[in-house]
Amino acid sequence: MTNLELDRVAFEAAVADRPDGSFVTRAGSGLAGGLRRVASALIFPAALLLVWLTACLLDLVPAQILPDPRLVLATFREFYETGDLAFHAQISLIRVVQGFALGAGAGLVLGISMGLSRRVRELVEPLFLALAQVPPLGWIPLVMLLVGIDEALKVIIIAKAALIPVTINTCKGILNVPRNYKEVGEVLTFGRWQTLTKILAPASIPTVFTGIRYGLTNAWLALVAVELLASSEGLGYLMVWGRQLFQLDLVIMAMIVVGVIGFVLDWSLGLVERRLQRWEDVGT
Amino acid sequence: MSAVTVIPSVRGTDAAAMPLRRRWNGLILPAALILLWEGASQSGLVDARLLPSLGAVAARGWSELAEGRLALDIASSLGRDLAGFAIGSVFGILAGLALGLSRTLDRYVGPTFNAVKQIAVFAWIPLISVWFGVGEAAKVAFIALAAFTPVVVNTWAGARSVPRDLGEVADVLTLSRWQRLIRLEIPSALPSIFVGLQLGLIYSWLATVGAEYFMTVGPGIGGLMTEGREHFHMDVVILGVLLLGGIGLGLNRLAGLLETSVLRWKRF
Amino acid sequence: MTDHGTLEIRSVGKRFDVAGQTVEALSGIDLSVAPGEFVSIVGASGCGKSTLLRLIVGLERDYDGEILLKGRRLAGPTLDRAIVFQEHRLFPWLRVEENVALGLLKSTLPAAEKRKLVREHLELVGLGAFAKAYPAQLSGGMSQRVAIARALVNRPDILLLDEPFGALDALTRAYLQAELRRIVRSEGITAVLVTHDVEEAIFLGDRIVVMHPRPGRIASILPVDPATRQDRTSAAFAHLRETVLSGLGTGHPVSPGRLAA
Repeated sequence: MTNLELDRVAFEAAVADRPDGSFVTRAGSGLAGGLRRVASALIFPAALLLVWLTACLLDLVPAQILPDPRLVLATFREFYETGDLAFHAQISLIRVVQGFALGAGAGLVLGISMGLSRRVRELVEPLFLALAQVPPLGWIPLVMLLVGIDEALKVIIIAKAALIPVTINTCKGILNVPRNYKEVGEVLTFGRWQTLTKILAPASIPTVFTGIRYGLTNAWLALVAVELLASSEGLGYLMVWGRQLFQLDLVIMAMIVVGVIGFVLDWSLGLVERRLQRWEDVGT
Repeated sequence: MSAVTVIPSVRGTDAAAMPLRRRWNGLILPAALILLWEGASQSGLVDARLLPSLGAVAARGWSELAEGRLALDIASSLGRDLAGFAIGSVFGILAGLALGLSRTLDRYVGPTFNAVKQIAVFAWIPLISVWFGVGEAAKVAFIALAAFTPVVVNTWAGARSVPRDLGEVADVLTLSRWQRLIRLEIPSALPSIFVGLQLGLIYSWLATVGAEYFMTVGPGIGGLMTEGREHFHMDVVILGVLLLGGIGLGLNRLAGLLETSVLRWKRF
Repeated sequence: MTDHGTLEIRSVGKRFDVAGQTVEALSGIDLSVAPGEFVSIVGASGCGKSTLLRLIVGLERDYDGEILLKGRRLAGPTLDRAIVFQEHRLFPWLRVEENVALGLLKSTLPAAEKRKLVREHLELVGLGAFAKAYPAQLSGGMSQRVAIARALVNRPDILLLDEPFGALDALTRAYLQAELRRIVRSEGITAVLVTHDVEEAIFLGDRIVVMHPRPGRIASILPVDPATRQDRTSAAFAHLRETVLSGLGTGHPVSPGRLAA
């Protein structure tokens, strides 16, 4: 539950370069080192691709199990040129943006009020945590009965998936502002507004943003699930369709597109996050 | 003097420390919600098919239980959840340790893993159903995959951040590769591995529900809910939601207990 | 006591690459430590004294010149040299006795013998009652004593101490200095102590090596008369302290006039 955000925290703390650069081998710094890093990262996937291609060329695996990578590429080109890919991707993106905006917005409001007001926290937290125990997918049949299987279903499920981590991290970010900082505010006789803008907001923003980033990842996960279950367009639908026609090239192409979009969404928020957390890195 | 005193261990659970009043406050909202729900459904203001009374849900739960079907559904879901989780986490820990302790793997295979993990886990379902069918094997494979990713990520992170200071102690004591792994690297990564296992448990439960929706063969809570939805039995669906939440909560608590008992040295 | 062998350091130098620039950490170090001798090395921070210790223990293998023990050139850590770091570096997941037993992992002694050695060494540092405790339950001074037991349990020829009491409060430090002196004397062990605490250097050392920074080099070596170090309050002790401090080049207290400026 509360460790929804932990994998990211633990991971990034470890991935950050060690002071002596001992293990996270930067393979030297500068352009040459960067290129070398990229090159070593590409060797393994290139080898995998080669094995895949050879297996297909030698007819070692049936195409219904693993299609020829060149077929995947051709399918991609076809979908790209006809505009079908853009059409489905756009629909998925719009759903995610709508659901995420709704869920993250509500999560911020809820998290901030829980973080600032002890009373709100006491009232809301137990119910919130209880509801959060149900996996996002668990709500799908319920919501289906209430609102049908149209856009509303997708937006609600996506919003719920984004809501939980945003709320938890926002609340935690505010609660975990070190007492020391608050005491500085008290000594300087800050008013409520000053405390909020000068201390609480800047000190909690990195944690809050981690929640937002995690919320987006969750939203994308929920989108795929809900589109697989009930949709007649979108990237998830493409996969179901490809699966029904036994066109695995289409399934794999859609998987790759899902991965790339997920990566770009996460990566762009990661950039913002690193900027926000810059002051934390100094001196560590 | 400080040199001869033992710093007392600090224990005590949050729940016990929480003032009673606070815990009562937490019940206000759920109680109000239930009253509203019950009122609306009893008075007939809302269609009882959309909002069955609590009594109806309880009665449904009881009759399903009496038929023996509910127990089978719960046992099936739980069984495949734990089987998938066990497989995924064993492979996850092995892969994470390998990635974290070997510079070569970290550099050559790590980026590929990071790229592949970007694929939202449900996107694997069509492919897995082609490879493994829609029976038990496919479900367990999918659940294992869902548990695998967070376990790898966290084990990897824990293994690569073994404190350098302690590594030097192992150097000075000339520990062998195996001794180093057992005494230093695994214990040092253990807290992080547990974070991964807990996340893996959450994800595998999510995946269990997903697998049962998508591959609707055989008993399970997901199948129960799908059926309830198709027949417009809201009481069955609500029963399912309650079960999913309750079991998820129970699994998490269990993992938490296990963690505190294994990581005894962290309690002080 | 068996012959622990002489430690010979011959024109040793060490360079680091920092951000593309070469920094000379040590240069032209010549020092010979006789068996059973206690040598204190003092110097301002950055004079390379800890680096010298890391070279002797074998954590840094890449250096100029020669470091010999019993006539053999040292390459990498072996169990005949033990080190106590400034931080205790105990493994937090192991109990006190298990931490000490870490030193015996490579030993071929029978298990019962190992248990006996662990117990004896815990008694030696006065922690027999805390064998089952976890490091987090110990104070800083106790942890450092466990680290000393872990270093000694192998019966090393040479004990290296890298500012072992630097992180402790003054009372604990004075107590542990006396303890260390007792232990080293009773075991007849050769010891090299690195410290920035001149009093500690005098109190424990048979000789004091004064080092200067940039590049780290030996400025002077002062013998300590056994009578002098008996009493920290004696005039001879104070005089030697003054000599060492002025040798360091930082000895004279800052005048009030400069403080005010």
